[in-house]
Amino acid sequence: MFGTATERQHATPPRRADGLADIELPDHEGRLVRLAELWHDQPAVLVWLRHYG
Amino acid sequence: MQLHRARERFARAGARLALIGQATPPHAAHFRRTQGIELPVLADAERLSFKAAGAKLATMDELLGPIVVIKGVMAIAKHRVFQGRQIGDLAQLGGAMLVGVDGTIVWSHMSEDASDIASPAQILHALDGEAA
Repeated sequence: MFGTATERQHATPPRRADGLADIELPDHEGRLVRLAELWHDQPAVLVWLRHYG
Repeated sequence: MQLHRARERFARAGARLALIGQATPPHAAHFRRTQGIELPVLADAERLSFKAAGAKLATMDELLGPIVVIKGVMAIAKHRVFQGRQIGDLAQLGGAMLVGVDGTIVWSHMSEDASDIASPAQILHALDGEAA
């Protein structure tokens, strides 16, 4: 139901952001942002939202 | 939104703050507009970054179990924030991480259930530790 997992999982954050670095996502204006750009010159806090609100 | 209100503290701490949600750029733009948010909001309809960040899918109990609901109500009472519109996979949980300039994940808090959300204070504390 709702696409929920049938068995309990555990969050598995990696130690490095290499797997995130090359992902390109559009921003709210449709401009593509390569995630590594976010931390190339200063630390970045990335927050994955479960919902918009 | 708590993170938006704390954005200047993140800037003073020397960190770039970005939000990533499910769905499309128009959804992200609508979210920014209705919430009055100036932070960048990225749209990840395919949830590629969620998977790469190790975010998990919740079980029904982790979404709507009694403990989760009670913690959610307490969070609403404490922070006066309400859950907004859910778009995309309802079971997809989120999280937060601090990435250093060398790509090291200095700190992370990926949600274990729907009520398990890192506060801005927790994230800023991690950032302070990184700067020290």
